[in-house]
Amino acid sequence: MEIIERYVHEIGNRLPRRARADVEAELRSLLADAVEERARASGRPADDALTAEVLREFGAPREVAARYAGEPRCLIGPRLYPAYVLTLEIAAIAIAAVFVLLVVLRLTTLSGGGAASGIVAVFRAGGHALHGAIFNLGLLTLIFAIVERVQVRREETGRAWDPATLPPVNDPDRISVVNKIFSTYAIVLLVILFNFFPQWIGFWAWSDGRWSGLPVLLPSFSRHLPLLNLWWAAAFALDLGVLLQGRWRTATRWAELAVGALGIVVLLEIVLGPPVFLFDAAAKSVLAVPLLIAAIKTCLRLYRLLARPSGEASQR
Amino acid sequence: MVLGKTQSSARDGVSLELRRGALVLAVLTQLHGEEYGWSLRKLLVERGLEIDEGTLSPLLRRLESQGHLRSRWKVEDGRPRRYYRISPQGEALERELAAEWRALADVIERLIG
Repeated sequence: MEIIERYVHEIGNRLPRRARADVEAELRSLLADAVEERARASGRPADDALTAEVLREFGAPREVAARYAGEPRCLIGPRLYPAYVLTLEIAAIAIAAVFVLLVVLRLTTLSGGGAASGIVAVFRAGGHALHGAIFNLGLLTLIFAIVERVQVRREETGRAWDPATLPPVNDPDRISVVNKIFSTYAIVLLVILFNFFPQWIGFWAWSDGRWSGLPVLLPSFSRHLPLLNLWWAAAFALDLGVLLQGRWRTATRWAELAVGALGIVVLLEIVLGPPVFLFDAAAKSVLAVPLLIAAIKTCLRLYRLLARPSGEASQR
Repeated sequence: MVLGKTQSSARDGVSLELRRGALVLAVLTQLHGEEYGWSLRKLLVERGLEIDEGTLSPLLRRLESQGHLRSRWKVEDGRPRRYYRISPQGEALERELAAEWRALADVIERLIG
């Protein structure tokens, strides 16, 4: 009967491909039996009206498909969802701020053209903001989805929970998921920027209806990319590892120290090496500041690690 | 007492939860012989257990995927049907669930007084 075929097809469309044919065949048989039984019991013909009654009692295709599909699957589960929403809100605010800045810049540097030029400028700024929003929000969603998949797999194969593993109330090893996600996201942006768009790093101005830029990275900067990429890859892996474990542990603290030390080596190589920036002396003077801060932080981390009591809870 | 729609829906939901918990055991007890989806539903209804048409078939497939049932396709009266039967693993589960059910029923009877 045609209405049964349409119903079965609608359910099948909502099922995984590998189970579809089998479920559809079973449903056809079940529905044919149900219609036949209803017709016999009521003394009515097995027509479309009676069949529609039976289908109504079976339920809407999406409900029936959900029962066959089993456990609900989600891209980002309930535990990470609040952090995900907060991260998106922060990113959306940042993108909105960039949009406003772009609009103000374009409007204040317009040279004639009246209201029409202003409207075009606003739309162009909106277009850039939209591109940025799609890319950045998509990247954040991807990072959360990866963390969700790996965390779920770890919990399925993990040990039973033990109350002895509860951290202290004021836990210095507790992490902020949102901070860690943003850190991971910032590293990905840096990798993309320095490896694929190094010409964008510089001084930019809007005039005569277009952007004009003065890139600050000389072509010789590319000699530092292998070591920079290694440092960023290590930092990315560390951030993901800490995210998946849910808190800092002694091993990840030592890894943090190693990544920090690698960062110092990379920055030192850039600062002490041959010219790689447009205003090389000035740029390297500026770079010396984060280098000094990194060195101080690394020393502090080393001190805290060595002063850490042995056999603590974080070794679990 | 006439129940409002919300109260009636809530009560039906709680009643459904109570019956849903017993459904696996009820299905296993009726599959020592081969049955297909519709015939099994009829058996259960005749013995006093109403079950939605759209609930039984997914449940049978889930129990089969967990190894508690076996199935095969048979053509009867020109219509292919999937017949289910309990497996040895399903029989072991049935015994465990039946023992749990009896123990639970004892406890609930005492609580109800």
